[in-house]
Amino acid sequence: MASNSTTRPLPGRQQLSREFIAQHQRARIITALAQESSEQGYQQVTVADIVSRAGIARNTFYENFRSKEDCFLATQEFAMTAALERVVDAAGNFDSWAERVRAGLAAFLGYVAEEPALARTCMVEALSAGPAAVERYEKSQQAFVSLFKLGRDVSPHGGELPETLEEAIIGGVFWIVYQRLAIGEEAAIPELLPELIEFALTPYLGAEQARQVSAAASDNPRPLPES
Amino acid sequence: MTSKNWPVSQNGLDPSGSVSSVLLRDPANQSVDSPEYPPELARLPPGRHGLPREFVSHNQRERLIAGLAEAVAENGYAGTTIAHITRNAAVSRRTFYEHFSSKDECFIAAYDTVMTELRKRVEDAFDQEDEWPLAVRAGIEAMLEFLAAEPHLARLSMVEALVAGPVVVERYDAAIQSLAPYFAAGRKGLSKDVLAGLSPTTEEALVGGMVSLISRRIFADRTEELEALLPDLVEFTLTPYLGSAEAAKVARAA
Repeated sequence: MASNSTTRPLPGRQQLSREFIAQHQRARIITALAQESSEQGYQQVTVADIVSRAGIARNTFYENFRSKEDCFLATQEFAMTAALERVVDAAGNFDSWAERVRAGLAAFLGYVAEEPALARTCMVEALSAGPAAVERYEKSQQAFVSLFKLGRDVSPHGGELPETLEEAIIGGVFWIVYQRLAIGEEAAIPELLPELIEFALTPYLGAEQARQVSAAASDNPRPLPES
Repeated sequence: MTSKNWPVSQNGLDPSGSVSSVLLRDPANQSVDSPEYPPELARLPPGRHGLPREFVSHNQRERLIAGLAEAVAENGYAGTTIAHITRNAAVSRRTFYEHFSSKDECFIAAYDTVMTELRKRVEDAFDQEDEWPLAVRAGIEAMLEFLAAEPHLARLSMVEALVAGPVVVERYDAAIQSLAPYFAAGRKGLSKDVLAGLSPTTEEALVGGMVSLISRRIFADRTEELEALLPDLVEFTLTPYLGSAEAAKVARAA
C-alpha cells in the first residue's frame, strides 16, 4: 500500500490519492530530519532546517508531526522497521541457524552502510534525543533477540547458556556499529561481518565452528595476529 | 598553602573534586558511617571559623556536584535547573556560578567524579587477583556493586550522561572503551590457534555487550537486579578466551 513512499510523486499529482501524497510527504520529512541530524547533531536541528531540507511548507510539517521530537520518533520507527524487514527477509532464505544469523547480520550491516544518515540518527543521535528515543533504541535491539535465541536449539550446551546471552551479544554488535558511525566510518561497517559473526556464534557453537561460518562469509580471511 | 592536615587531603582528594560527598548524600549509600568518609566532607560544621578558603571552596564544589546528582535523579537531566542544584547543595546561586558556568559544566564535573571513582574501584578489585579470569570477575563485581549501591550515580553516569550533550557523550564513549584493556589482557598466554579466532574487535564487543546489559537495567530503574548479572557477565566476557565450559566454571564458582 505505501511501499512506494520514498519515491517522488508522479507528475499530475491531483490523480494521486491523498493517502499516497501524505505518505510521501512523511517520508521526505523523515529523510530530511535524518540528514540534518547526522550533519549537525539532533540537538541543533530546528523545524525550519527540516522544512527547508524537505522542500515543504512549515504547515505541512505540523500536519504530519506535532514537534521535532515527534518527528524524531517517527524516523526511528521508520528505520527500525525497514532494517528489521531486511534482516528477517535475508535470514528467511536459509535453513540452518548459523546461516540465518550470517545473512541477517549481513543485511543489517548493509542497511546501515546504505542509509548512513538514518542509521546515524537512530544509533548515535537517538542517545541524545531524550528518554523516549533512548527507550526505542533499546527496544530496537530486542527485536534481534528472537533470531539469536534459536541458536540455543542447535548448541550442544544450549540448555546451560546464560539467560542474558542474546541481550549481551546484540548489545556488543550495536556498540561496535555505533562506534563506527560516531566517527563517520560507515563505509567500513560491512567489512565487520566476519568478526561479528564469530563474536555472535562462538558462545553457541564454539570458536572453531564459528570461524568456519565466518570464513565462508569472507573472501579475505584475517591474517594471524602478531605476538 | 598546604592543607595536609585537613581530612580532605588525607583522603587523597584531587583538585577536580571527590565522590565522597556525593556518596554521603546519596540516600541509598550504606557507608555513611564508614571512617573512610568523615562527615566533615559532606557539610561544613555550622559556625566553625578559620577554615582555609581553599577548603571551603572545595567543599562547596562537592556539595554542588552532590546536589546535581540528587536533582538529576529526581528530574532527569533536561528537567534539572540550577535552582534545584543550589537548593540541594544549600548554597547561593552566586556560589554556583563561582564554581561552574552552567548546568552542563556542573554535570561534566559530576560525571567525571563518578567515573573516576568507578574506575578506581574496578582497578583496585582487578589488581587484587593474580589470575586473569578471577581479576575480570572481581572487576565486574566491583562495578556492579558500586552501581547497585548508588542508584542515583548509576543513573547519572549510564543513562543521563547520554542526553547531556555531545561533550558528555564523547566522554561516556571514551570511558566505556577504556574498559577494553582489562579483557585484552586475557590474550596473553593464549595459543596461536585461539588467538587466531579472536578478532581485533572482540574486546570492544564484549565491553559494549556488558554495558548494554547494565545500562538497560539502570534505565528501567531495576538497579537491584545488577548484582545478579555477575555470573552471566563473567561467562559472556571470558568465553572468547577460555571457551564456554571453562568460562562457565569461573562464572559459577562463587
